[in-house]
Amino acid sequence: MEFESNLCILNSANTNFAKKRTAVPRLWRALFLLLLFAMPAHAQTRFARDSFGPQNAIPGSQPFTDEIGRHVEVPATVKRIVSLAPNLTEIVFALGEGDRLAGDTDFCDYPAEATRKPRVGGPVNPNLEQVVALSPDLVFATKAINRRETVDGLARLRVPVYVTDPHSVEDMIASIEHIGKVLHAEKTATPLADGLRERLSNLDRRIAGTVPRRVLFVVWTTPLITVGRRTFIADALRRAGALSVVDAKAEWPRVSFEEILRLQPEFLVFASAHARETQHDIDSLRTRQGWRELDALRRGNIVIVSDAINRPAPRMVDAVEQLARAFHSESFASQDGPSTATLEIAQEACACAR
Amino acid sequence: MSVREISPHANGSRETSAKDARSIRLNVEQASFAYAASEQSAPTFTLGATSFQARERELVAILGPNASGKSTLLRLVSGTIAPLSGRVELDGQETSRLDSRTRAQRIAVVHQESPILYAARAGDFVLQGRHPYGRALHLASAEDVAIARNALAQVGAEHLASRTISELSGGEKQRIILARALAQQPRLVLLDEPTLHLDIGAQVELLERLRQLAEENKYAVVVVTHELALAAEFADQIVLLHHGTCLRVGPPAVVYQRELLEQIFEAPLDVELGPAGRPRVHLRARHNDHAT
Amino acid sequence: MRPLTLKRLLWTCGALAVMLLACVILALKLGAIPISVTDLVLNLGRIVIGRSDQLPTEYRLIIFELRMPRILLGVLVGASLSVSGASFQALLRNPLADPFVLGVSSGAALGSLLALAIAPELPLITPLGAFLGALATIAAVYFLGRRDGQLESATLLLGGIISASFLSAMIMFLVTTLSGRDLRGIVFWLMGDLSTPVPTSLRWILAFGLLAGIGAIYTTAADLNLLLTGEREAIHLGVDVTRVKLVVYVSASLLTALAVSASGAIGYVGLLVPHAVRLVFGSDYRLLIPASALCGAIAIVLADTLARTVAAPTELPVGAMTAMAGAPIFIYLLRRGMR
Repeated sequence: MEFESNLCILNSANTNFAKKRTAVPRLWRALFLLLLFAMPAHAQTRFARDSFGPQNAIPGSQPFTDEIGRHVEVPATVKRIVSLAPNLTEIVFALGEGDRLAGDTDFCDYPAEATRKPRVGGPVNPNLEQVVALSPDLVFATKAINRRETVDGLARLRVPVYVTDPHSVEDMIASIEHIGKVLHAEKTATPLADGLRERLSNLDRRIAGTVPRRVLFVVWTTPLITVGRRTFIADALRRAGALSVVDAKAEWPRVSFEEILRLQPEFLVFASAHARETQHDIDSLRTRQGWRELDALRRGNIVIVSDAINRPAPRMVDAVEQLARAFHSESFASQDGPSTATLEIAQEACACAR
Repeated sequence: MSVREISPHANGSRETSAKDARSIRLNVEQASFAYAASEQSAPTFTLGATSFQARERELVAILGPNASGKSTLLRLVSGTIAPLSGRVELDGQETSRLDSRTRAQRIAVVHQESPILYAARAGDFVLQGRHPYGRALHLASAEDVAIARNALAQVGAEHLASRTISELSGGEKQRIILARALAQQPRLVLLDEPTLHLDIGAQVELLERLRQLAEENKYAVVVVTHELALAAEFADQIVLLHHGTCLRVGPPAVVYQRELLEQIFEAPLDVELGPAGRPRVHLRARHNDHAT
Repeated sequence: MRPLTLKRLLWTCGALAVMLLACVILALKLGAIPISVTDLVLNLGRIVIGRSDQLPTEYRLIIFELRMPRILLGVLVGASLSVSGASFQALLRNPLADPFVLGVSSGAALGSLLALAIAPELPLITPLGAFLGALATIAAVYFLGRRDGQLESATLLLGGIISASFLSAMIMFLVTTLSGRDLRGIVFWLMGDLSTPVPTSLRWILAFGLLAGIGAIYTTAADLNLLLTGEREAIHLGVDVTRVKLVVYVSASLLTALAVSASGAIGYVGLLVPHAVRLVFGSDYRLLIPASALCGAIAIVLADTLARTVAAPTELPVGAMTAMAGAPIFIYLLRRGMR
């Protein structure tokens, strides 16, 4: 053991001194750590105190209440918008305000211009720094997809966030109107909303008097997952003159296959962005044990609808119309399109070409 | 060898005057203990009233087969447990009533080797013996370092100070552990079966060193063991235990009675007196009886 | 080797603190928006002397409202987890112990899940639920691990592992029965996530809790060195083993609870940082504790910076980074022989 060479044998007085010295380091340690934390924390508290004034710091802002009851101060002129969900991006473009969109999420894929906008990350975990760096005047979010922490975080940074919360097709149309109002774009919002409502009431008239079809919307095959009653898809099915055979409170309920076999739905509905691939998957389902016994599969009563069915934006109404055509083809006999039992709705056939 | 009837409380009435001058360090007077699962149930093991004394510079061996109560007696002596009856006093103070810091400054206990988790240098390990004297972070003062170094020297292990303990042999490890005990500068050194994992050479070396240390530093040393031969050779006094009862206390020559030992250790033995008055114990294996 | 002196202790901690400061500055600089170091230091200086109105706007929000709080949180969480891990390794006499081995993080996760299920609208419900869940687990495992009035290492370890399993099963049950939307945030939290801005008051609580916890454990640092050579031996050297075990158990568990409530369960840090520190600085707990705290802070700050920048603008959860880096480091340490 190499002891320090300058040691000498200490007498008892020095021993006491040595003992006292060991009590000091704890104090120094505490001071050290305190200093380490204190500087930036001090900087931050001073900054917060100095820079941030009362609530209505933005001049000429208008108060709004968003769809979840939050108070939002929207600036008089909204020049830069950031959208945190794909459906909101679609709505902004549908209102003709795509130029004002300064940034959107990685998953915003419609319309094509949306993919060319600056990205802020995914809807669930957007990069707050990116959002702030885009200097948005207003951020749109939706309760179904975005996290509360994201919204709170942005709010704490004094970025106005308007949160939508639609649960049905009608809610979605109302959202379009709200967003139009906030952006002072009522001139485009009102006709758009009215147009969508008219299409829906036309649809109602057409299928009035028909018996709602009993259908199963298949989200996933193994395990078998379908939709609960409080989802857009359930609402869309209702508007299209159908009823899910499964009525559940949970959003994405897992069901046992035997139950479906017992219920024997008239139609199986799949949502897909790539109809051809999905058809291939469905064909392989026909050979699977159990699935073979489903009447709908045997008779070919399969509907592949555009995945806009689950995105609360104007295209959703197109998807509803597709479904209605498939379920009640006889009510649309006068329209073009064959009324064969199997209807594969190709994306090209609908008016909302990508 | 004169056969004397020895009572369990024999002490030095026939000792030499030089030995009489030594003060009595440890006084165990009718100390007993009992283990029970709970307060109401019957005791599972009892140590009957035991008395013996250890003087400074004396080596006492607590001898007996397994489960004879040796560890219990050791715990009574070290103050870990308080006796149900009787007293255990070190320099006049009850060991179990001392606060742990003072007790650690007076009594050093060397246990059987326990696995040491992290690589420690031998020198740092020995320095831990100074813990009862430190405060707060217990950072080693120069005096602590000197004492630790001295302790290593006393066990002849100064050269091992920078080595990692896990690299050392069994005997070397034992010396380091002993050095840590010495660094406590105790008045009483207790060892619990210290020779268990050592070869015969290391065993002898250890006990010789213990005697030497006791002499130099005026310790009283109490060793718990079941090694008949070693105890006979090195102990000044034997405390003989069997099934929780103290059968004999006295010098080896007096305590080592053949019939008694055979009965206690359940082995055929021969006892004869060697030079310097210490008994020698021989094993008499049964299958060899026919030869002669 | 020389015995640990005050000088060596202070110099080592000082050097590590300087390294931490350098990492903090590096972390402040890196991110989606580039910031130069000189600007940074200038701005920091401006704030301290109270002239914050001179700050350029675009840096203000990013540095002080986004990056700085996140980095500070990382420092606090990293220090808490490392000290907690080192303490459990001593308490349980097991080199594989980490801050979560006694089920605290599972209890916290369950607590926050239940809180979300019962009252999702309340602010700060996730950290509050997590902390309460952690406290309940600490108490339960304490009573499981007690024998003859004091904590016994082997029993404690078993009790903790069993609790962790049970709580994980409960979590899986809840996750399958609860509606899917409520739990999206939980997934990130379970992996360890520093991106959720934590209110200032919570950060102060965390900071004080950290100092108090580390302080309490540090008072037993010398005792822990002895405890590692054996409980009986420690008792005979004057250590109040019962008190030490209780203090270490409660403090380390609270440190874990605080860290997990604020940022979720960030893995590997509490396990590996103490071992890495031992490899470099030795096993003396008087140095190990402060060094682990500082190195843990450095590790989390670096991991979080990587998580923010490596796949920009997407942010990876910091727990994913520590796991990816942690596994190879773990293997390396195993081969070196964990000491």
